[in-house]
Amino acid sequence: MPTSASSSAPIASSSVSAQSRPVPQDLVGRLSSSAISHEAKLKALRDIKNQIIGNRTKKLSFLKLGAVPSVVGVLASATATATSRIGCGFIGDDHDLDSIIIQSAAAVGSFACGFDAGVQAVLDAGALPILFSLVSHPNEKVVDAGARSLRLIYQSKLAPKFDFFQDQNIHFLLSLLNSENENVSGLGASIVTHSCETKVEQNVLEDAGVLKKLISLLAGSMIQRDASLESLATLLKENPAAILKILGTEHRGALDVVTELTRDKYPRTRLLACMCLIVVRNSYPSYLQDVRTKTQLIAILLELLDDAGQVGDEAPYALSSLIAGKEDMQKLAFEDRVAEKLCKHLEKGPLQARRLQGIFLALADLCSLLECCRSRFLSLKGLQFITNALTNDNADVQAAACICLRNVARSVKNLSAGIFMNEPVIIPLVHLICDASTSVQVAALDAISNIVVDFMTHKTTFIQCGGLKQLVQLSKSMDSTIRLHSLWALKNLMFLVDDRCKETIFAELTQSTLRSLIRDPEAAVQEQALALVRNIVDGSVECIEFILADDALLFHEVVRQLQCASKTEVLVQGMYVLSNVASGTELHKEAVMTQLLPVRPGDNQSIMFKFLQSDDSRLRTAALWALVNLCLPNFPGTYRRVLSIRNAGISSHLKNMLHDPCLDVKLRARTALAQLLIPDA
Amino acid sequence: MPVRLAESSIPSDVSDDEPENAPLPTCTLLSVGQAFFGTQNVSSLQKDEAWRVNVRIQGCDLDHGYLCGTMEALNVPMADTPVITFWEGEIVDTNNFTFFTGKWGATSEDDIKHWTKFSSFSPLLSQVEKDGGKMLDLTNYPYIFMRWKEQYFVNVGTDCGLTIAGFYYVCFSCGDGSINGYYYDPNSSSSNRLMIVELPCCDSPFQKLELKSTKEGRSGFSFGLYELK
Repeated sequence: MPTSASSSAPIASSSVSAQSRPVPQDLVGRLSSSAISHEAKLKALRDIKNQIIGNRTKKLSFLKLGAVPSVVGVLASATATATSRIGCGFIGDDHDLDSIIIQSAAAVGSFACGFDAGVQAVLDAGALPILFSLVSHPNEKVVDAGARSLRLIYQSKLAPKFDFFQDQNIHFLLSLLNSENENVSGLGASIVTHSCETKVEQNVLEDAGVLKKLISLLAGSMIQRDASLESLATLLKENPAAILKILGTEHRGALDVVTELTRDKYPRTRLLACMCLIVVRNSYPSYLQDVRTKTQLIAILLELLDDAGQVGDEAPYALSSLIAGKEDMQKLAFEDRVAEKLCKHLEKGPLQARRLQGIFLALADLCSLLECCRSRFLSLKGLQFITNALTNDNADVQAAACICLRNVARSVKNLSAGIFMNEPVIIPLVHLICDASTSVQVAALDAISNIVVDFMTHKTTFIQCGGLKQLVQLSKSMDSTIRLHSLWALKNLMFLVDDRCKETIFAELTQSTLRSLIRDPEAAVQEQALALVRNIVDGSVECIEFILADDALLFHEVVRQLQCASKTEVLVQGMYVLSNVASGTELHKEAVMTQLLPVRPGDNQSIMFKFLQSDDSRLRTAALWALVNLCLPNFPGTYRRVLSIRNAGISSHLKNMLHDPCLDVKLRARTALAQLLIPDA
Repeated sequence: MPVRLAESSIPSDVSDDEPENAPLPTCTLLSVGQAFFGTQNVSSLQKDEAWRVNVRIQGCDLDHGYLCGTMEALNVPMADTPVITFWEGEIVDTNNFTFFTGKWGATSEDDIKHWTKFSSFSPLLSQVEKDGGKMLDLTNYPYIFMRWKEQYFVNVGTDCGLTIAGFYYVCFSCGDGSINGYYYDPNSSSSNRLMIVELPCCDSPFQKLELKSTKEGRSGFSFGLYELK
């Protein structure tokens, strides 16, 4: 066909390409055709498999063409034919049929490998029972192909959960684990890793002898070792009883083997061995106490970070798990210059999202508890890495950067220096609190919660960047988690803020919003709302008017919570609101008096009396501060208030409180009692 | 073994508790946001001088024996503005920190010499002389001993003529929130805060810090709150 000169070259090249690489539509069409030779079908399967290996885009395009049901159709048909032949006593070598089964099973596995949409399509097409039937096929190559595909499917969360509570399933699992075929025993271990989630399941598997079998597989091939290390970690996770057994005489040396495998020549084996030891250490803290082994683990994981593939991607997560929540490990990591090494990787960039997320999470854990780690990270331009990642296009990376920032911003020294309160940090954070993903929103809100503590006069920077408006909007969210986290940030923003800023925040928030948050259905939200009001009425005396304006509706809302809330944390915050109000003018003190002392209808004691007798020392302390403020000497109404309090019988109770187990309570009770005992004149 | 101290001024017998002591309990007057005002005596042999001082607690982590905040000196000669410094404190909880400083150029003799200036320290002296007081249980003691070390100038440059090379021995009274402290700089012959003044060796009373809990214009005590995530 004649073509224009300009378009001829691409067409020619496309035609050459089509000759060397079959068109997907044709390949899928060939699979569905019944009038096609074995050889052609086999070639189509091979071509599909080769095109999709390691190529998500190709997998997706084949998926859209309906390739998976076609491949599974070929597999099903070939398997059925083979089964019927075996049933008829045919024992000859059916090379063509087996090749079709092997290639179609392999193609199914390739669709499932690391690609959830592929796994779903494979499951929807009904491949699972067919693949399981191949495990008992007389041809070892067919068994290999089936087991390999199943292992790839069981790496996905989408694979159906294996029911360990059925006897026949446990027998089947043990038969897999006992198989001489490394792919089959590896499949057994993969099933354990995938489906064992509860303590009961761990026990069932252990009772069935799975733990023992997995330990024996540690001495097997690479496939068996790796699969065994992964499932051992699953069985031992948060299972100190099983760990005790593994440390005992029956399995003596098992963990030594695992430790030895941390020095294996294969990076993946080293990583899995490290992860297994970390699980043991996290579930059974008295294990792995010697500094040398801990230092070695850190060094191995840092070295694995250099791996360009999946192992390098996963290494920072293992490091995270090793140091999270453990000061001793973080100190060691600090000494082993982990911050420097992680920052070097960030510097090298650009990194894949998964790896970048892992590195930020590891840095977050490193900076979670110790100031020396935070200082070191900040000295390595850590804040610059974080601000860059806040604008990354991957939500997981953004959330990890926020978590890292949150932990670094636990440094009061740096908060006080105001190093976080600047536009390059605040603008992306304000953007992220409106993200479509709740986890990103929460991570950004938590980072903001710390940053807005800022003791300098920079809180206006946050307001000018639009942060206040967004926080207030989020405090009205339908999602209680978002309400809670945004209120937390607002509470911290309100801490020690100057009067002008306080007025701006209150105007944006409004009294009616605050009232509805105080009576929120969630107690945790009530607590934050009351703590926010507590900060509103802290500072200058004039600020107390914020809650007494408009017929004191806000004040009465606080009192209403003190009368009906049951959670101590809510009551403590409410009581500090009243205590702070009681540190104001005579009018303010009177407002508090009228609420704290009377016994309300239906109650058998006043709020004050009830809280002084609380089991919680924080609530007793808060109530005592209110009392101290009400009875502070040398104010016009003090005498009258002292009389009312004495008449309410509080003095005798205060005498008992002089022996309170809490020192703070004891000292406040002493002050309050001294004030109540001033001469009547 | 730790020694539990009763609230009275006499230490109790050695207890059978585990050597690791619990962190000191919360004292509301030493919580974040609390403010103190008073003076720091900077008198020399030549003249009497005292600076008005404001202190604000900004961070408190009892688990790690950590406290921090700012100190504002108001009438510093030759300074155009009040001089604000950020300080970090070690709380002597006998777990994270003992009475022995072990750094900043302070010997155990320097430590004892300064701690004994606080009358509330005298019941602890014998035990502290033995081992820095690491066996003492101070969880029920109504005084909190600390060391405050200024870390940086907040609003002026390092060329402001003042030094923050030394540190304070501090005693806080949980009962009334009063704070007493003594500045100590082993590298200065006089422990003097004024870098430009050279003095013959003299004792720390010249460097006494005296603060009281302030109500900041209120007729009572008010407590704000922030919580880090």
